Amino acid sequence: MANTSDIIIIGGGIAGTATGYYLAKAGLQVALFDKGFLCSGSTGRCIGGVRQQFTSESSIKLMMRSVELFAGMDEELGTEVHWHPGGYLFLAHDEQKKQAFLDNIRIQQAAGLKDVRWVDAAEAREIVPLLDTAGLLGGSYCPTDGQAYPFAVVNGYAQMIRKLGGRVHAFSEVGGIISAGGAATGIRLASGEEHHAPVVVNCAGPWAAEVGALAGIEVPVEAERHEALITEGVEYLGIPMLVDYRADGGYFQQFRHNGQFIGCYSPSPRVPGHSAGSTFEFLTDMPRRMLKLVPALAEVKVVRQWAGSYEVTPDGNPVLDRTELAGFYVLGGMCGHGFMLGPAMGQAMAAFVRSGAKEPPYPEFALRRQFGRAEAMK
Amino acid sequence: MGFNRACVIRMPDTAHQIICRCEDVTEEEVLRAIAQGAVTADEVKRLTRAGMGHCQGRTCRRLVNQLLARRLGQRPADQKPVTQRSPLQPVSLKVLADSNQ
Repeated sequence: MANTSDIIIIGGGIAGTATGYYLAKAGLQVALFDKGFLCSGSTGRCIGGVRQQFTSESSIKLMMRSVELFAGMDEELGTEVHWHPGGYLFLAHDEQKKQAFLDNIRIQQAAGLKDVRWVDAAEAREIVPLLDTAGLLGGSYCPTDGQAYPFAVVNGYAQMIRKLGGRVHAFSEVGGIISAGGAATGIRLASGEEHHAPVVVNCAGPWAAEVGALAGIEVPVEAERHEALITEGVEYLGIPMLVDYRADGGYFQQFRHNGQFIGCYSPSPRVPGHSAGSTFEFLTDMPRRMLKLVPALAEVKVVRQWAGSYEVTPDGNPVLDRTELAGFYVLGGMCGHGFMLGPAMGQAMAAFVRSGAKEPPYPEFALRRQFGRAEAMK
Repeated sequence: MGFNRACVIRMPDTAHQIICRCEDVTEEEVLRAIAQGAVTADEVKRLTRAGMGHCQGRTCRRLVNQLLARRLGQRPADQKPVTQRSPLQPVSLKVLADSNQ
């Protein structure tokens, strides 16, 4: 039957396409659906940063795995994804932040991330000669963190799903989850068309809660608007992703492949909901925050601003699990780290689905966990 | 409307014709994106970068839509335009930062 497959995936961002790719690679027939085009949700709106500096052992190890996968991705997917280990430098301007970073570095090194280290202000200036180090105590630096191009990664996975015999359906909104005898058996598109599979994976990103609700399953993920901007391309200056956690800080990096600076900051107060609207406030405040760190960029021109959703969970950690409805899985709640976590999480999700295991591989990412200890490097 | 190029001289080989001058995207690349399954200018933009450069698609927007129309038989009236994003022309970080109060 044309509308029957082994796996149905809802969502054509990094989570869905990576999961789909690894399942297809294992020989399963995958059908993927997105309500828009591929990458039209969070992944296509992210700034392409990839870092291993987290504070939970699982996230650190998954991110080390993701970095390996990004590094081998051109060959694996047969396309250029512009992976570049340009590094991440988290800046500390007060003793408390410095102490927190030193503690984090110990956790990260214990988890196997040997490349991360504390750098003082003088060394930070050596790494980024253009950095304004006024008031800077130093930073947490990992030179093997990096960047990649989201559209190329997602398209690469999607093309491979097709090549492996799977189907990728854009502009196909899922309107219902079909179940029988307490188990998922497929989906119904908004158009009414039905597709059947014994496994349905919710990779709907900021819409994970809505897709879960189609099956009566509560998924604790909330959309939250974050804005971003990008500049024209200029000569590559070798500046790592700079992360400034201060109230009027932000994070930005320069793409190696075309010299564009791209960046964002976390809005305060939060902006919950699915809005993708842009503000003049961000368009003028982000440049101010960038120039505070690297004044030499003054004449670089902004070409575009946009917004997208973070998919936020109560503790800042993702969800990778099965649900109360047999055969219905969820991978999401990436809290702004979906693009970087995606390759390793997709691989882990595929392995979990194939294993048929009852217990999820990472207890701290379980769907029904106690949302207590929060990820500190959000 | 838009289905035939209104040009007197047709290039016999259009493969290297530039569609997006800011990002050096050729006609061949746009057609390859369409062959890969793109049906909207939004998808072509993300697959080829046509419209992502300095002028933000002022030149290529219509050309991309013409190629989509010609290849897929779309009516221009039915085509969804790509989102226009500010600033509508490039503005330096300094000028923007100085506008922040």
